[in-house]
Amino acid sequence: MRKTPSDLFEQLHREQQTRRQFVGWGAGGLGAFFMNTAMAAQQPTTSTGLSFKRDPSAPLSALPPQFPAKVKRVIYLHMGGAPSQLELFDHKPTLSRFGGQLCPESFVKGKRFAFIRGVPKLLGPQFPFHQTGRNGTWISDRMPHTEKLIDDLCLIKSMKTDQFNHAPAQLLVQTGDARTGHASLGSWVTYGLGSENQNLPGFIVLASSGPGPTANAGKPLWGSGFLPSVYQGVECRSAGEPILYLNNPHDVSRASRRQVLDAVDAINQQTRKEFGNPETVARIAQYELAFRMQMEASEAMDIRREPGAVLARYGAEPGKTSYANNCLVARRLAERGVRFIQLYHWGWDSHGSPTDEGINIGFVKRCKETDQPTAALLRDLKERGLLEDTLVVWGGEFGRTPMEDNHGGSTEASKYVGRDHHTAAFTIWMTGGGVRTGMVHGETDDMGYDVVKDPVEVRDLHATILYLLGFDYQKLNFAYQGLDQKLTGVKPARVVSQILA
Amino acid sequence: MSALAYFGGVTVATVLGLGIAMLLRPGFAHAVLQSAGLESIPISDGLSFYAVRVQPLFDAHCISCHGAAREKGGLRLDSFAGTMRGGKHGAVIAAGKAQHSELFTRITLPATDDKAMPPSGKTPMNTDDVTVIRLWIAAGASGTLPVGAIKGAPRLVTPVKMPEINPIAVRKLRAPLAGQVAELQNRLPGVIAYDSRSSADLILDASLKREAFGDADLRLLAPLRARIVEANLSFTAVTDASAPQIAAMTALRTLRLADTKTSDATIRTLASLKALRVLAVANASSATLTALREKGVRVYGDVNGE
Repeated sequence: MRKTPSDLFEQLHREQQTRRQFVGWGAGGLGAFFMNTAMAAQQPTTSTGLSFKRDPSAPLSALPPQFPAKVKRVIYLHMGGAPSQLELFDHKPTLSRFGGQLCPESFVKGKRFAFIRGVPKLLGPQFPFHQTGRNGTWISDRMPHTEKLIDDLCLIKSMKTDQFNHAPAQLLVQTGDARTGHASLGSWVTYGLGSENQNLPGFIVLASSGPGPTANAGKPLWGSGFLPSVYQGVECRSAGEPILYLNNPHDVSRASRRQVLDAVDAINQQTRKEFGNPETVARIAQYELAFRMQMEASEAMDIRREPGAVLARYGAEPGKTSYANNCLVARRLAERGVRFIQLYHWGWDSHGSPTDEGINIGFVKRCKETDQPTAALLRDLKERGLLEDTLVVWGGEFGRTPMEDNHGGSTEASKYVGRDHHTAAFTIWMTGGGVRTGMVHGETDDMGYDVVKDPVEVRDLHATILYLLGFDYQKLNFAYQGLDQKLTGVKPARVVSQILA
Repeated sequence: MSALAYFGGVTVATVLGLGIAMLLRPGFAHAVLQSAGLESIPISDGLSFYAVRVQPLFDAHCISCHGAAREKGGLRLDSFAGTMRGGKHGAVIAAGKAQHSELFTRITLPATDDKAMPPSGKTPMNTDDVTVIRLWIAAGASGTLPVGAIKGAPRLVTPVKMPEINPIAVRKLRAPLAGQVAELQNRLPGVIAYDSRSSADLILDASLKREAFGDADLRLLAPLRARIVEANLSFTAVTDASAPQIAAMTALRTLRLADTKTSDATIRTLASLKALRVLAVANASSATLTALREKGVRVYGDVNGE
């Protein structure tokens, strides 16, 4: 559904036509009409981007990638609130030695933090680290299940961002831009590849959380931004009806629902012919998809169909909203051809107060909630051979400071340890087709403050994900506001070739 | 003034000028001597450690200032000869002694140092890059030492190059089967797709059709089978009757048969598939799979007897 300038002219022209129905046809109108057609004919036919022209009635029809892909789908495990890399993956014995001392002035001078003011104390790692796996990778004791799969993971310890608040940082990770209005990663993927399964959305969002704020940036995290809205993520629930208002109301049969849809469709088709607005196409497609989903969505989301052993492995409990349930649903969706499965688990914002934001309390709980299900998902994908062509990404929106954050400062707060938001370094991991596993990419300094080797920007991560999906990030674009918009934005990005198998 | 005096004067002036230029710019001196045949031109072998590992680092980090366009400090790092020749202050490489090589000193200075290279604002070399250069100098700064001869070098990573799509070439590649592909795409919607926009290879995915796809449907795809590189038949109704069809997919890299009624009979026919790398099975015995595993096939799924 790439909109060429001539499409825009056509749309504009049609909109003007209706206005003209009120004022009648004048010489000016005719002149404008002539100008439009003459100029439209002059539009260049070549473009730097790829063509994503589809049958307008099937905007989600599958398209092959630009070049042979390493992966067919992505499961993105976003740990909202930002888990501490210093308590999980980034082993810093030196920081441990200096814990409790005031931090060097260079750590704070001219820098901005969300809460830290003045010169804070350094905070040593709160949990013991040990080496594991065939390469002796350092890891803490907080993720015992995930740890067993360390040889299948690619840790990137040198992630960097430029946003120190949750909402913009989450937007940057999920949409490539810190402001709202940009298309999310999942939207780009469904725009580029369409949906394999025409009875399910190509981009599904599953959210769970600990207590505290959820989705700081809200639904724009899975919005389609400037892309047609048919490519936005569909949020599903793992408890109750998976998608609200999808089922027919009481006493309404599927046949009568079809009749209503046919009538609505006829009106919408008429509007489409009249105005040529792609949003009308999106609306028609959504109605049709919803009708088809009535059959398939509930089956796909119903984890009660899984054997007890599988439920136990994930720690899933049907009927609840939990990360464990979502992980199991993610595997079921992956098997059913959903391109982009986005999980969120909120509540990792370990500032030290209130209670649940303590690294010694809330953080411990979040680890417990996510560790076993994440490992079960990876193992399940691996056993079924799905990890051969699925990419799994785990990570937050930024890291946490090597300095202690004790905002609030009350005696009660001092019982809990916390760290502030950190942009200069954080850790994520990836695994799946095309990813080099059992490796660590990048390094931070002895204090875990800044990256000293192989920095990876969020846009580099995006370029790499798109590469694995078979796209040149420069070519997957969409003309909007006079710019060929890209997921990676306008700053130079690169594919992180070191982490490719 | 006699002609002799005139030409004599010109000659003396030229020699003097050349001499001064050679003194001021060692690079120029080497160039003059080398072109006069008085000095051998250092060359590097195409498969040498230098050519494969070191030169690409200079190309990425140095030659915008030390190359054909600009020659800062009289130094060019765009060839082995240039690197060994050095700049106006002399050689930058001391063979065998990394710590005494000006080039090595410069790339290891802290970023805040005025003499650090590449200068601030440019992408610094990472520790792996520095290690490669250190090992190369320590091993004698050779232009011919083969790439495998230096042990302990970090893994070589080739940057990703995005392939260009040539639509005409792709159309030509697809032409022989284009008609049949289009017809079968129509007849079995969503089952057959091109692997990518830049190839004529095909992906067969019938898994979403579930039981509605069976042996008869697979037989319809026979004209395309030599082009199929991936076949996902999991959850379909295909049985061992499809074994000959599958075994004839000679380019097959990935085959998925999870939750199907296929058995060892099908698996045994796969031995002839040379390109097969990934196999997901249902009800196979470990004995039949061992042979495939030994050929490098990664096998997944319900395996009996394990």
